[in-house]
Amino acid sequence: MRTSIWEKPGSIAEAYWKQGHADFPVYDMHGHMGSHYAIYFKRCEPADVVAHIKRAGVKRLVFAHHDALWGGLRNEKVWEMCCQFPEHLRMYVAINPHFPETIKEDLAKFDQWAPFAVGLKFLADYHRVAVTDKAYEYALKFANERGIPILNHTWGGSGFDGGPIMLEVTQKYPRAKFFIGHCLYGDWDYASRVVNETPGNVWLELTAIPGERGIIEMLVEMVGSERILYGTDMPWFDEFQGIGGVLSAKITEDDMRNILYRNAESILGKNW
Amino acid sequence: MKDCLFFDANCKLGAGAAGEACLPDVSALLSEMDYYGVDRALIRHTNIIKGALTSNEKIAEFLCDDPQKRLCGTWCILPSQCDEIPAPELFFSQMKAARVGAITLSPFEHRYVPCRLTLGKILDAAAERKVPVLLDAFAGRWTELYAFMKEFPYLTCIYLESIGKWGSDRNLRPLLENYEGFHIDTAGYWVPEGIRDLAEKYGAERILYGSGSPRYNHGNGMLQLRHNGLNDNDFALIAGKNLERLLKGAEL
Ligand SMILES: [Zn+2]
Repeated sequence: MRTSIWEKPGSIAEAYWKQGHADFPVYDMHGHMGSHYAIYFKRCEPADVVAHIKRAGVKRLVFAHHDALWGGLRNEKVWEMCCQFPEHLRMYVAINPHFPETIKEDLAKFDQWAPFAVGLKFLADYHRVAVTDKAYEYALKFANERGIPILNHTWGGSGFDGGPIMLEVTQKYPRAKFFIGHCLYGDWDYASRVVNETPGNVWLELTAIPGERGIIEMLVEMVGSERILYGTDMPWFDEFQGIGGVLSAKITEDDMRNILYRNAESILGKNW
Repeated sequence: MKDCLFFDANCKLGAGAAGEACLPDVSALLSEMDYYGVDRALIRHTNIIKGALTSNEKIAEFLCDDPQKRLCGTWCILPSQCDEIPAPELFFSQMKAARVGAITLSPFEHRYVPCRLTLGKILDAAAERKVPVLLDAFAGRWTELYAFMKEFPYLTCIYLESIGKWGSDRNLRPLLENYEGFHIDTAGYWVPEGIRDLAEKYGAERILYGSGSPRYNHGNGMLQLRHNGLNDNDFALIAGKNLERLLKGAEL
């Protein structure tokens, strides 16, 4: 047997195998918080989540609380959670298109929630409203004016946040920074198009993909590692599984660094 | 790291009929295993769903291409009444001769009901001789799996999760609690530190490292397991010793 990736002296993979972290901070750009109806979570509240991400060398987790997405918890409460863990937690303001007044009230507080609120989160597939619908316009204009990120749940073939819809919206709001959650899973053609046919305001976000054989390699080939962000859906997926999936991809260490931290730093800075 | 054996319980080899992702031959698989540091693998054929007997033959051929004996094979069974596979005694001795250590079934594609009437003879013998039975066909089919386990409660079996990434604890834990011979592999079980939770609750002996290759690569699950917070002994059991023990325990 030849030397495995985990044994290559001085490699990122070796550092992770031996120590559980490398010489850089990881930014997990797609997380959640709290229990969820469809799954049993032993660890889903802030203290447990932070303990887990710290073990894997994750410096920041940016999340949208499940209950804030469903409409049962106000984003202000999520901001209070972030205040408890200022070193590790940042939030996406959850946008539910069925609650227009809440959207206006919460976005009016966006600046007060600095530095913890870094962007918005759309979950169109679950809210059953297409991102191109008027119900998202207020939030899209808000993000576009400020040039802030929107993490979109996306999925190939979806009539709410699938390829053609995301291409239309990312072209229409060129100053908003679109994070394409799950990379339009399965529709790799459109994943490539939303990056390559827009003016530099789109990044693919990897949640659910690390570990799939050959997919990260293909995405890097299609859009370049500079346009890919790391995420896990924490508390759904283990950080070491996710990071392990990036380190297991047959890409360069430069690509790995871009995905795991450099791109997040170039979008949001080193201290955010 | 090589003081620890990694033995992959969830690995498909050979081309499929529907153009699915595949590792076509033994050298492609061994090269992937080497890249990530996986020592051994229990293989089953990608194309089982399109033919039990033909894929059994292919597996036997693949094993001839593996002189270092890093691979162990899996054969697919069928209902005994149609005379497609021989009686248990002969079937098991043929398995042994071909270096096949486990059996699997694909009842939904092969169109029969997986129950005592169809499979009683072969699966009672498998239970008695502790021949591991892979339950890959039941991935995500919980109602059918629950009915099957009720019919065959004493099997030594391994549930292979190959499709779902969502945690399945609400379905997995009752099976682990109620059936002593029920094991699971780690592919697709991505719950944060969840492998350790299951090991603490049901024993590390019940969990086996599985890559889910070729859909998944071998490496991601290795790092997940490595840093799940398990003690060294439990880590080694899950990484490879459990599967080694189950295969050695089979009286073929
Ligand atoms: Zn998500």
